[in-house]
Amino acid sequence: MYKRLAALALGLALLCGCGAAAQPQKETETVQAAQEMRSTEFFAMDTVMSVRACGADEALLAQAEALVLSLEEELSTTREGSAVYTLDHEGHAELSERAAYLLGRALALCAETDGALDVSVYPVVRAWGFTTADGSYRVPDAAELDALLQNVDYTRVLLDGTEASVPEGMEIDLGAVTKGYTGDLLTALLRESGVESALLDLGGNVQTVGCKPDGSNWRVGVKDPAGEGLLGALAVADKAVVTSGGYERYFTDDAGTLYWHIMDPRSGCPARNGLISVTVVGDEGLYCDALSTALFVMGTEDAIAFWRAHRDFDMVLVTEDGRLLLTPALAERFTPADALRYETAVIADA
Amino acid sequence: MLKTRTWILLFAAAALALGLLSWRLLGTPVEGTVVEVVQDGVVLREIDLSAVREAYSFVVTWPDGGSNTVLVEPGRICVAEADCPDGLCVRQGWLSDRGAPLVCLPHRLVIRLKGEGALDGVSR
Repeated sequence: MYKRLAALALGLALLCGCGAAAQPQKETETVQAAQEMRSTEFFAMDTVMSVRACGADEALLAQAEALVLSLEEELSTTREGSAVYTLDHEGHAELSERAAYLLGRALALCAETDGALDVSVYPVVRAWGFTTADGSYRVPDAAELDALLQNVDYTRVLLDGTEASVPEGMEIDLGAVTKGYTGDLLTALLRESGVESALLDLGGNVQTVGCKPDGSNWRVGVKDPAGEGLLGALAVADKAVVTSGGYERYFTDDAGTLYWHIMDPRSGCPARNGLISVTVVGDEGLYCDALSTALFVMGTEDAIAFWRAHRDFDMVLVTEDGRLLLTPALAERFTPADALRYETAVIADA
Repeated sequence: MLKTRTWILLFAAAALALGLLSWRLLGTPVEGTVVEVVQDGVVLREIDLSAVREAYSFVVTWPDGGSNTVLVEPGRICVAEADCPDGLCVRQGWLSDRGAPLVCLPHRLVIRLKGEGALDGVSR
């Protein structure tokens, strides 16, 4: 009898699955996990990463870490000998299949976002001092920025099969898509190995595989860009949740002006177009990662227009004037934090 | 036919009861006060901040050179001093009960809430 009931409860939990998503506030945790949750944590890509997977063994977790490290070796802008480093320093490089795929997708997204995302903005970011960890920030003058902007133009990056080349003086950086893509490859690795429930935290990029072992949604907090706390929590399953905010890396000059690391490729200056944080929720990490940066650069109006034209992702926007804007599908998945200081509104469908 | 229907009803009732029970048991998240000081994946210390009576500090050294001084006060913890190039860990201030963990990348040090409360992760 007990066995039967347990089997039934398990069956129901599986059936309901992430169906509990519709009513996140009534999430019920039914049966305890049949398999153990195992996790690993490591430093890679200049950040802390963790992989928590239900039913994974040590060998699989080691494989996951090795996958991340091999991607870093290939895609790092600063590591001598990486494909991207070679491309930037020699003007051309033979890429692996996966690096070529990533560059191809990144270039397509640069075009899709009308240059709000531009993989060739790297020398500008470096001029501001955001590429090193030693805190040597500075405000480049207009002449310097003008000169650097001459070589910012993703349309001049050539990709033919796995062969890539850039013109003299141009350097690219895939940092805006690498972590998202890494999450997608990790997700594929875990899925192929039979894992149906996992949570990846790649330095703040959260990607979920399936639902939680008990069949309920994962609860993913979203950082408040203006403080130490949270905006609230999102109930999600099988989604990537990627946030870009001005709070990650920034400095202030003597006059107190704040400069952050997300550059507007058109001006060569930090993007200040009305947004202080963008969270993108979608099926693919790469896409969410690229969009979180691109929408931040676009600003409030254009980000909303982009969402209306595409509708293949959801987003949480926080504006400089204190508003929190959600796409309709997130309205019922989002639980705001207590005493939230933002005026919350749902973005109109059209 | 009747038998099947009875079973379905029974199952539904059992599932509902189970659901309601666990909702009541697990519905209220408890704020965590236990923090972990982790270096390169190894937990060095576990500190229950609610049990701290007097302020104290300790130094965590990184084998490749460098150190962080961790300050513990009743109910809170921060990195008070560090000789890492960026000093971000110090700038982060006190560990928040709901935000991001304190991280010193150069010294691979992480100070975080144990269990991270009721959340599974934080997008930031």
